[in-house]
Amino acid sequence: MTTWRYLGLLAELVRLSWRRFPFAAAGIVAAAVVSTGLTPVLALALREAVDGIAGGDRRAALLGALGAALAFALDRYLRDAGEVLEKVLADHVSSVDLRRQVVSTLARLDGLDHLERTDLLDRVTAAQDARGSLGHAPWQAIHAVCHAVRLGLLLLLLGAAVNPWLLTLIAFAAAPLWFDQAGQRAVARAETGTAEAFRLQRHLFDLATGPAGGKEIRVAGAGPEIARRQRAAWAEAVRGRFRARVRAAAWRLTGWAVFTLGFGAGLALVTRGDGSLGDLVLAITVAVTLRDALQDTLFGVTVAMAGRTGAEPLLWLRDYARDQAGHTGTGKPPAVLRDGITLEEVSFGYHGTGRPALDRVGCHLPAGSVVAVVGEYGSGKTTLVKLLAKFYAPDRGRILVDGADLADLDTAAWRARCSAAFQDFGRFHIRLGDAVGIGDLPHLDEDARLRDAVGAADATALVDRLPDGLDTQLGRRFDGVELSEGQWQKVALARASMRAEPLLFVLDEPTASLDAPSEHAIFERYMARARELAARTGAITVVISHRFSTVAGADRILVLDRGHLVEQGTHQELLAAGGRYADLYTVQAKAYKRSGADSPAGA
Amino acid sequence: MAHAVADRIGLLKRLRSAGPGLLSGLVLLTVAGSLVPAATALAFAALVGDVARGGGRAGVAVTTLLAYLAVLLLGHAFGALREPMSYLARMRIDGDHRAELSRLAAQSTTVGHLERADVRVLIRQARADPENFMDGSPGPGAVAQLDLLGRVVAVAGSGAVLAAYEWWLVPLLAVSAAGLHGLHQLAGRDWRRVWRGVLLPGMRADVWAEALVSPGEGKEIRVFGLGEWAVGRIEQHMRTAFDPMWGVGRRVLIRQSWQLPLVFGPLAVAYLAVTADAVGGAVPVATAAAVFAAATSVLPADPHQAHLTINALTCLRAFDRLRAELTRVPAAAAGPPPLVRFEGVGFAYPGTGRRVLDRLDLEIRPGELLAVVGLNGAGKSTLSKLLAWLYEPASGRITADGVDLAAIGPEAWRKRISVVFQDFVRYHLSAADNVALGNATVPRDEQALAAAARDAGLDEVLARLPRGWDTPLARSRTGGVDLSGGQWQQVVLARALYAVRTGAQVLVLDEPTAHLDVRTEFDVFGRLAAHRGDATVVLISHRLSTVRRADRIVLLDGGRIAESGTHDELMALGGQYAAMFTIQAERFAAEETSP
Repeated sequence: MTTWRYLGLLAELVRLSWRRFPFAAAGIVAAAVVSTGLTPVLALALREAVDGIAGGDRRAALLGALGAALAFALDRYLRDAGEVLEKVLADHVSSVDLRRQVVSTLARLDGLDHLERTDLLDRVTAAQDARGSLGHAPWQAIHAVCHAVRLGLLLLLLGAAVNPWLLTLIAFAAAPLWFDQAGQRAVARAETGTAEAFRLQRHLFDLATGPAGGKEIRVAGAGPEIARRQRAAWAEAVRGRFRARVRAAAWRLTGWAVFTLGFGAGLALVTRGDGSLGDLVLAITVAVTLRDALQDTLFGVTVAMAGRTGAEPLLWLRDYARDQAGHTGTGKPPAVLRDGITLEEVSFGYHGTGRPALDRVGCHLPAGSVVAVVGEYGSGKTTLVKLLAKFYAPDRGRILVDGADLADLDTAAWRARCSAAFQDFGRFHIRLGDAVGIGDLPHLDEDARLRDAVGAADATALVDRLPDGLDTQLGRRFDGVELSEGQWQKVALARASMRAEPLLFVLDEPTASLDAPSEHAIFERYMARARELAARTGAITVVISHRFSTVAGADRILVLDRGHLVEQGTHQELLAAGGRYADLYTVQAKAYKRSGADSPAGA
Repeated sequence: MAHAVADRIGLLKRLRSAGPGLLSGLVLLTVAGSLVPAATALAFAALVGDVARGGGRAGVAVTTLLAYLAVLLLGHAFGALREPMSYLARMRIDGDHRAELSRLAAQSTTVGHLERADVRVLIRQARADPENFMDGSPGPGAVAQLDLLGRVVAVAGSGAVLAAYEWWLVPLLAVSAAGLHGLHQLAGRDWRRVWRGVLLPGMRADVWAEALVSPGEGKEIRVFGLGEWAVGRIEQHMRTAFDPMWGVGRRVLIRQSWQLPLVFGPLAVAYLAVTADAVGGAVPVATAAAVFAAATSVLPADPHQAHLTINALTCLRAFDRLRAELTRVPAAAAGPPPLVRFEGVGFAYPGTGRRVLDRLDLEIRPGELLAVVGLNGAGKSTLSKLLAWLYEPASGRITADGVDLAAIGPEAWRKRISVVFQDFVRYHLSAADNVALGNATVPRDEQALAAAARDAGLDEVLARLPRGWDTPLARSRTGGVDLSGGQWQQVVLARALYAVRTGAQVLVLDEPTAHLDVRTEFDVFGRLAAHRGDATVVLISHRLSTVRRADRIVLLDGGRIAESGTHDELMALGGQYAAMFTIQAERFAAEETSP
């Protein structure tokens, strides 16, 4: 990330703040500018006072003293007022407006790469957290500029009012700035270098204090060990950052030493020259404020640059979103499927893994059919439905929807005609009615639709049993009702049943967590629903299941093995073929036979 | 007032975390640094005095000038040195605080507390994450107390300079300083109040913010086109949280305007008095210069100190309340393999009226492989959580060899039990850590580790990892990798077997294989059955084909054990189990008999 890009981001934030809250933004800038002007006024007033005392001019001396007190008080007030405004504005803009920007960028990412790879997910999470350090950065940058101007004014004052030779102090004033930057760079490098240890301690902290991992950590007695490791990771991060700060302190001290040397020479010049007593006071007052101005400038630059750490993942996210945006098409999906979906030699591999998850898979899913996908763990079943839902694009080959390339279809429009329940279904800690209704946003509040969907998922009894029915808050997070694994799955199924006219309906392990009667009821209901949808829109229902009992009724069964499509056909055809499907089926069927063998090994 | 003093002392106590060496260095630097303004004022006055005596030119002694420069440079040196030391002290304090919080949370007896919304809020307040700009933390707060000490020294130093001219200037300016300090305190308190109101809406917004970046929820958000809607919800919650800030900001701003008279009044009086005296020749010009410089340095310059203190106190108070919520129970020694009995156990989740378990009686015999089945919501998982003492029974008791688990104590009991949950933890740590954290109550046993890996079939996975056992299991770590779901399952199996090998006598498997395919499930079950040694295994599952191989099967219904026996016995009984099994089996039968 270049500095220019970062400064561009800061400017953008200022523009955003200006647009949203013009008065507050103007107030901050006005306070900073006026306060900048007050510093030389204070110095000049003090000179008046001292010269008045030395020259016996009572009126001038008192006026000078009064002016100095007023300038000091006003400066102090303006700074505090500016700070209050900045606090409100920066917090609001970063927590509401900037956050909105970040999450809507995230929401617009169509693919799943950034969620399924921990390295990308880390940066995405960092981008979400970035707003904290970024909020104040633009204002601190403005302050830094104002302080630098103040510095310049003070030096000019010295040069013009006392001795032109003092203008050379500008060179010495640059020394602390330059040296400090070197130190800050070391600090920034250390932050980056220790970021991993820092992330690790946060991960462990979240595990230890969160309810999700809490069960297992307790039972295993891992608490103290996790706390110890967290402390160690913290210490490691702090060690590196502390060393960098020591180095930065050395740089800073060097800078100040150079400045003090130059300033001493300047003072000698003033005291040996023909300046008045007031000039000396002015020079020394300026010296003190000069130091403050320099320190403030340094602080502003440091804070503004600290925002860079936060800006980096944010800018990365924007780039990433821009790269991904190119992948969507513009075509509209058909109103009704006539031919079906065809996979032509489709291959796909996840980033960073050697073996392709799908390898030259070719098949036709006829419109209106129920297609079952079976295979062992890691055979590519879920990958297949992820490609159908356009979460990923095939590396090679094409997917055709009624002859049109899926890649050319508008992703949002295609998804609007899909519905799905995935095996890692969402657990939304919101109202039950909303958790179901978000399956079809335009009909979120239609009670009849909600109840139909709940019925389809065999969840009516569940809803009736909950204290507030559809209004029940789900999840312990907000003191709602915690559901069991199977109950959450039913909610996910109900959500997936909200859309009335999908072209593609995906059920990925729809009953893995359900008991036998529910599984049976749901299976029957979804088969009926599949037929009904098929008649209406030619919809294709894709069922992934490990339970062969649920797939036998499908029109077509695809058998995957390590990414290859090894068999396809109806249940009868595949059993007759005596291949892998028949093999796996027998294993399961045997386990249920009255005289079943105890071990599948004989199958 | 006494309360406020106790609070400050509580903060000062935290400084112990910094260590004696660092702390004494820091105190020394703070005091020395605080004397610099007074010294500067004196050196300044000396310079002015020299010049005045010399008639305005060439009268300055080189030593006076050098002394002035030395004071200046010392001030810089103190400041520069103090920065890294103060950083280290803050971070040491916060590091200890966070580690203590983790230990407290992870060792609290039950998990129910951590799920409560009010406790979540307390954790948010107490977590002291330095990278979250809204978090208060004890480190900066404790160091701010040192700064306050420095302020007192500085005021005393500058006060002495002022008093040399006129004693009543000291109380006059002290009133001004106290007033400013009070204003800062009030503002800090106002901000804190707003921040507290931010927490809950913030957590509600986080539901959607997290959903956007989690693989499970993220897929659904995309399929159902929820993106913009979720963004709208986040924005709405954040507005609820932050819109009130403007009102508070306005109030603080109006109150701050008192600053103007509060600073200007006393300062003007001091300046005018000394100027009038100096013009009249009553005091030398050098004294006037000294008063000019010293008067302003009495006033507190940094409003953040008040914020830091208040933020730190909020954090510590939340921590204290958490400590009260999450009480700890001392450990007891482990005993022989237990006979576990549920005796009339009843349980309902807090906040819900429904009894999940109702006067449940159950015996888990030593060394048996017991399967628990039942409909969704029958209370199977609740049973496993009670068994692990993650929740306490509302009525009745659970005993091991006749001793109430409550008497044994959770820590001692958990040394003897291991549970595999479906939502197991994926530590971003090495493969070895991921297995060994299955039982962290004993020193790491390398032999048990190797054996568990072998038994779980993890060897093949390890062989393919770039650094074997030392490979971090998260791609975000240097040299780390992401495992597939199936590989994780093997890690977790190894974790459970490691626990058994290092002393766990009861192993509970809560639907461990729901997402596994048939072969893997049989494989996992077979390995477990073969390598569990003497341990008792409680298996919760829907897969009746797996369950039937258990020594004994119990069926939960209506919060009690409705049926109990071997597979054959239950089938002969013709009850609910037989009906469930038949439903699952019938599909196969139907298919096989059809042409």
